[in-house]
Amino acid sequence: MPKVIIDGKEFIAKENETVLNVAERNGIYIPRYCYHPALSIAGNCRMCLVEIEKMPKLQIACATTVTDGMVIHTQTEKVKKARQDVLEFLLLNHPLDCPICDQVGECYLQDYYMEYGLKKSRIDLKDKNRKPKRRDIGKHLILDNERCILCTRCVRFCEEVTKTSELFINSRGDHSFIDIKTEEKLDNDYSLNIADICPVGAFTSKDFRFKERVYRLSSTSSICLSCATGCKIKVQHNNGKIYRILPDPNIYTNTWICDNGRMSYKITAGPDRLTKSIIKSEEHHLNKAIIKLFDILKEAKEKNLKIAILLSDYLSIEDNFALYYLGFEILKTDLIYASKEKEQKIEDGILINKDKTPNSNAVSQISKLYGIKKYEDLKDCDLLIGFYDDIEKLNIPKNKSVALSYKADKEYDNLIAIKTYFETEGSFINWQYFLRKTAPSVSAPTDTISVYDLCLKISELFGYYPKEKELNKIFNELKYKTED
Amino acid sequence: MIRTKKIESKPLNFFEKIYIIEVIRGFSVTLKHFFINLFFPSKIPTISYPEEKVLLPGNAKLKSRHRIKLRSDGTPKCVACMMCSTICPADCIHIEAAETETPVEKYPKVFNIDISKCVMCGLCVEACPEDAISMDTNEIAGGAYSRFSNFQKDGLFLTKNELFIKLKDEKISKLGAANRLENEYGERND
Ligand code: SF4
Ligand code: SF4
Ligand code: SF4
Ligand code: SF4
Ligand code: FES
Repeated sequence: MPKVIIDGKEFIAKENETVLNVAERNGIYIPRYCYHPALSIAGNCRMCLVEIEKMPKLQIACATTVTDGMVIHTQTEKVKKARQDVLEFLLLNHPLDCPICDQVGECYLQDYYMEYGLKKSRIDLKDKNRKPKRRDIGKHLILDNERCILCTRCVRFCEEVTKTSELFINSRGDHSFIDIKTEEKLDNDYSLNIADICPVGAFTSKDFRFKERVYRLSSTSSICLSCATGCKIKVQHNNGKIYRILPDPNIYTNTWICDNGRMSYKITAGPDRLTKSIIKSEEHHLNKAIIKLFDILKEAKEKNLKIAILLSDYLSIEDNFALYYLGFEILKTDLIYASKEKEQKIEDGILINKDKTPNSNAVSQISKLYGIKKYEDLKDCDLLIGFYDDIEKLNIPKNKSVALSYKADKEYDNLIAIKTYFETEGSFINWQYFLRKTAPSVSAPTDTISVYDLCLKISELFGYYPKEKELNKIFNELKYKTED
Repeated sequence: MIRTKKIESKPLNFFEKIYIIEVIRGFSVTLKHFFINLFFPSKIPTISYPEEKVLLPGNAKLKSRHRIKLRSDGTPKCVACMMCSTICPADCIHIEAAETETPVEKYPKVFNIDISKCVMCGLCVEACPEDAISMDTNEIAGGAYSRFSNFQKDGLFLTKNELFIKLKDEKISKLGAANRLENEYGERND
């Protein structure tokens, strides 16, 4: 275990650890551009220079491994001067597009300039190199070569993470620029991570382009429900509107997230969002809709019609169990169905799971515990309650179903507008058996309701008042892990 | 943290303490104006705003109703960077940005200022990196001299139509968008 002294304090480092990592672990921040914890070390930006005793020149902290007894200084005049000079160099040909640049607020150039630079440019405006701007480089990305500082994080990401190697550095010297191999588009499934790791505004997201300033966004930690991997995410929003989704890197599941997951927030505010429930082809406010639905169920129950309930891999544990409770205890039906167990594995070796539903791990456990039938056994029923996406896949006449949906669909007579998991809480068990919760980041349209509350309200109308304990007991019966 | 500054006030002297002398002094000021107004009406220091108007002295006229300057091709100099709406203490500027075909890339699709909330602090003008927003129209929004509807609430809600204007005999600079336009829009002439 080598012992090192950084800025006068002694720290114990791990074998073969770099100076930057030791410092970071102990709360000493060293500025960097090309270093990224999840990528290989390139050592090309020179922003992380530090002074090491007995070495004649400054060394880059990101690529120097510690040795026993190393004495490192990160705050000397020499280091400060070096940082200033590196910044001046990086900004030499920089267009200073900040007013029209989406990186403002999370730009390393801006931040470091204010912290370490503060030097006037010595180059005349007309002498600056011009490079291609606003290049449409893929489905999700825009590239501005002038803003690039050639840290190669993007190149390394495509080489090491997605292994697609679309990007390379073209040309030489101060004319070099990031380019894409001929006839290719940057269309891998993880392309938007490049916009995140690019420390400046060279790669920016098309979807987020010009929509909002980053410093105005607040963040809510949640999980992605686009597949069974259940990546941890940060939902960024302002004034009740979600603007983008970022990964919330963690050691358990994910460092990145896929592009599909990033776009999943669109269900909250798209043009086809269902904001009012529809019963018998008529729009109703929430309370009216619940009463109408209750009437339908009561009538069906009195006439002894066959009411079927679908549990859903897309809904949370709470919602599924409330649905089960509604069917079994209130409507006294044994026509309760769930999908059969799905094969879960990482399809592409990175993150995307073969199973595209977020909660099948929990639902299959519930089915086993409560002896629930499979969708395939559903032959015939008079009334069906289930989640929209599941009903779509089954061969059930649409006028017989009550679909719980985020999406408007004219073909259905009965649609209940429910809250998305960006608007309400829900627990999910991912493919690694981690139990994770979504967190509401924005408020839902007024006339929507969560499935759990809906089931509760209907039960109350039937004269049952289920205790929270009764509905939460499922958590004691399920098998899952927590993160700590 | 709240910073406080303690101000020591000067202790009152004997004449101020006995009060009556200060009362007489106060009244004499009031009476002086009363007689000036009565016998020399032309010397009244107030005007009947908004029917009448005096030219504001010096730089005060730089704090009148806002406008957004235009470039020589008629496009707004504003690039919707949101600095003004970020700094505005009254939160009265609303901008929606959009993409444009010109090399500037970004322009304000919606630009509204709710003057009824504005506190005329001028911070927006100072924050603007493009020198696009200014308060040099010499108009008072909603007042009789505003070229838009008088006295109505609407006159206080400025949209693109009212804001994107060129002043009479204004010399238009071609530069904009953080020096970006220097080579795209031709020579520098400011
Ligand atoms: S990359 Fe950073 S410094 Fe460069 S224009 Fe964008 S925000 Fe400004
Ligand atoms: S585009 Fe961004 S990530 Fe790629 S080299 Fe340039 S600055 Fe680095
Ligand atoms: S003058 Fe002050 S209050 Fe009025 S719009 Fe500008 S920043 Fe806002
Ligand atoms: S600060 Fe200037 S350029 Fe930016 S949005 Fe306001 S008026 Fe437009
Ligand atoms: S971070 Fe060390 S050289 Fe770039």
